[in-house]
Amino acid sequence: MMTHVADVVTPGSIDEAVSQLAERARRGSVVTFVGGGTELGYGRAPERVDTLLRTERLSRILDYAPADLTITVEAGITLGALQATLAPERQRLALDAPQAARATIGGLLATNGFGPRRARYGSLRDLIVGVGIVRADGTLAHGGGKVVKNVAGFDLPKLMVGSLGTLGLIASATFRLHPAPEQQQWHVLAGRSAAQVRELVRALVECKLEASAVIAHSNGDAYSIYILFEGFGPSVESQGAKLHDLPRDVLGTDARPIAASGDIDVASLDETARLYGSIRVRISTPPAFLTSLDRDVLAPLRVAYADCRVILYPTIGAAFVGGMPRDSEALLAALQQARAVVESAGGHLAVVDCNEPELRERFDPFGTPPPSFPIMKRLKGRFDPERRLNPGRFVGGL
Amino acid sequence: MVADDLSSNVRFGKMILPTAETVEAQRELTAIVGPANCIVDPADLRTYECDGLTGTRVRPRVVVLPATTAEVAGVVRVSRKYGLPIVPRGAGTGLSGGALPSEGSIVIGLSRMNAILGVDFENLRMRVQPGVINLDVTKAIAARGYYYAPDPSSQSVCSIGGNIAENSGGAHCLKYGFTVNHVVAATIVTADGDIVELGSASPDALGYDLMAVLVGSEGLVGIVTEAVVRILRSPEATRTFFATFPSTDEAGDCVAGIVAAGIVPAAIEMMDQLAIEAIVKSTGVDWPLDVGAALLVDVDGPLAEAEHTAAQSIEIARSSGAIEVRTPRDERERALMWKGRKGAFAAMGRISPNYYVQDGVIPRSEISVVLREIGALCAREGFRVANVFHAGDGNLHPLVLYDGRIPGQAHHAAAVAADILKICVRHGGSITGEHGVGADKAAYMGEIFSDDDLETMNFVRCAFDPERVFNPGKVFPTPRLCGDRPGTYVAHSTEIAGEAGRG
Repeated sequence: MMTHVADVVTPGSIDEAVSQLAERARRGSVVTFVGGGTELGYGRAPERVDTLLRTERLSRILDYAPADLTITVEAGITLGALQATLAPERQRLALDAPQAARATIGGLLATNGFGPRRARYGSLRDLIVGVGIVRADGTLAHGGGKVVKNVAGFDLPKLMVGSLGTLGLIASATFRLHPAPEQQQWHVLAGRSAAQVRELVRALVECKLEASAVIAHSNGDAYSIYILFEGFGPSVESQGAKLHDLPRDVLGTDARPIAASGDIDVASLDETARLYGSIRVRISTPPAFLTSLDRDVLAPLRVAYADCRVILYPTIGAAFVGGMPRDSEALLAALQQARAVVESAGGHLAVVDCNEPELRERFDPFGTPPPSFPIMKRLKGRFDPERRLNPGRFVGGL
Repeated sequence: MVADDLSSNVRFGKMILPTAETVEAQRELTAIVGPANCIVDPADLRTYECDGLTGTRVRPRVVVLPATTAEVAGVVRVSRKYGLPIVPRGAGTGLSGGALPSEGSIVIGLSRMNAILGVDFENLRMRVQPGVINLDVTKAIAARGYYYAPDPSSQSVCSIGGNIAENSGGAHCLKYGFTVNHVVAATIVTADGDIVELGSASPDALGYDLMAVLVGSEGLVGIVTEAVVRILRSPEATRTFFATFPSTDEAGDCVAGIVAAGIVPAAIEMMDQLAIEAIVKSTGVDWPLDVGAALLVDVDGPLAEAEHTAAQSIEIARSSGAIEVRTPRDERERALMWKGRKGAFAAMGRISPNYYVQDGVIPRSEISVVLREIGALCAREGFRVANVFHAGDGNLHPLVLYDGRIPGQAHHAAAVAADILKICVRHGGSITGEHGVGADKAAYMGEIFSDDDLETMNFVRCAFDPERVFNPGKVFPTPRLCGDRPGTYVAHSTEIAGEAGRG
């Protein structure tokens, strides 16, 4: 969708982005923002694109205060570069979204990117404390601040999370950081059913085990479960021991810690599965819906996809499903059915990426807009009255 | 805020003439909520003239106490019909005047809507009405080992609806976050009197994150009539210690040391000498009076984690120069320590007739410097200042002590408190960490936000309430209309010439 755009700008500073967007406002140009380009397939195709603003040169660290556990960055910095800056101070942004080497902070904010550690640390809305945006009219505006606790004014930083470039350019952001854990230990349990995944999650809560991440992965019917404990050494060890003390009917017979040398690289397994396939969807449901989800949603999708991969984050209530369509018509029907089930359970099914033009045309990436959609439309109308920022790309054509 | 100062700024609402129209409005409101829940008697209205910010009082035209979402919607529609500004009110414990009535307003009190509608342990969610008291959420689930995390010091009297409006924090938000991190969905009544669901019980509700806007919106975007909150499993273990220091400098070093060690405590609360004195006099805790500062620290989590981080933190306290470290022998002693801390504001009555509290935030590494600046400022102006605050996240609560009986002191203290906010802002902080802007700090919004920032925030408000009928006069420093939509930007001539930039 981006191939025929003649006007591509690559601002080298936020000031430059301000003047470039002000200039596009004068011309009435319709603008799309691009960070690392990892999520270009997410959302509907914009109604029109005259200008592509690439943020790759907005990659500076503006202010890093290790003693305050906060950092302010330009939004074009990649997640990987940000983490590399923090590592020497034994700190991190508690975000483990895929493709860290390419994905930019601005892109991750716009798409609400996340990884398995969200189970413990929350999503970007829980980590962002300040934002600088450039509005459609070229005005630079800030919300939040540089301190971790702040209730002054409307929460623009969180509002920008997941707004898919339809309210303004995310130019800079301030985050609260976490100390890097002294120790990390993954554990793996293989051959579990969805009901057993759910049972294990219940047992973790019951036993007050505080996992940083729980992943259930499947490329067939059975799930392998990966559980991460992080923190100080004694705690990571005692939690691991407590996990393996769970009854056999909960844990299965082959639970084991994954060796530090890494006979399984869980992060890359997670990423590979999440990025697999020519049409990928993200499903959100209440976490306890898991057993029905597997039976009424995932099972039919496994039939309709050839070689289907599923990543579940069972404590969060998020699932990623991808694969190759066995037959476009059958997959379309299965996706429509899946969406109906998920929506009736109070969740949603969104297309993360789709390289099947036929399906792209016929299956809305987001599904039924929420009851508050009229308010969202008015919000878009206030921020971007001329509809010049990614028009039509977001939910319900926002 | 000016506490317990009845003498200053008392304004009586305009005498309400019983015109045919107001009689009709009253009749319609009474028809919705019943005569017992429609308050018009001037003596009864006095209760609603202010919230926890008692220095400024405005009598509302009428107070209604609806019992259902449908009643709230009906009341909003009647209010709109008669052009009454609407001020939502929770338990009335707010410290920034967020529930201060506007002239001629209708106050919608949500205190009767105090039912817990359901607990979903499987999904760790709970649906409550807005009038439910914060602590009652935890009480309802504590027996099964669960709790609701946000714990403002007023948690035994403040309500969830008010917490949502103010994005309330508390001592333990250092590790667990604020109200905004714990409320996932809400039913609101909009300015049009419509009933709308925001958010979702599933993660990442589709579309814009309107919950992020609603929580902390200080009553400007809608009236919450139901909320879905996250509940948490109680941690396996909590370890608490109380440490005293020669001055706030060493206590500040201790806070920095704990953070630098990679520990995220559940809470680190600091009290200076004057605060300790007030707390001792008021609650009878046996804290020493001859120390410069004290820290009250909670670490929690899995047992091994809590024990390890408590031991490390105590070691850091000692190496930072702690005079004494006390650990509670049992839960009763621990509760007593926290009672002392949470009763600190109320304790000020023991050492001063009145106080003015601020809520500024600073980067936590600046605590010692800023406390010294605040001390010097107050000494220069002839005031004592007590400090009791959330040191872990740099959220100060300086209490400027004064005597309201002395003419001019209240205003002088308010001016000093305003200067304290400016100190916080100069150090890269914020004017409010958890109390909200309300009526009290609206005038200081310009200290941290530009006109463009405020205009952008106003877009949000206007998307919800273009006529600005909800809580007018709060948060924004000057009245902002919703009519002016941003047109195409035209650069100033100096900007074109490269002489001036924007931002």
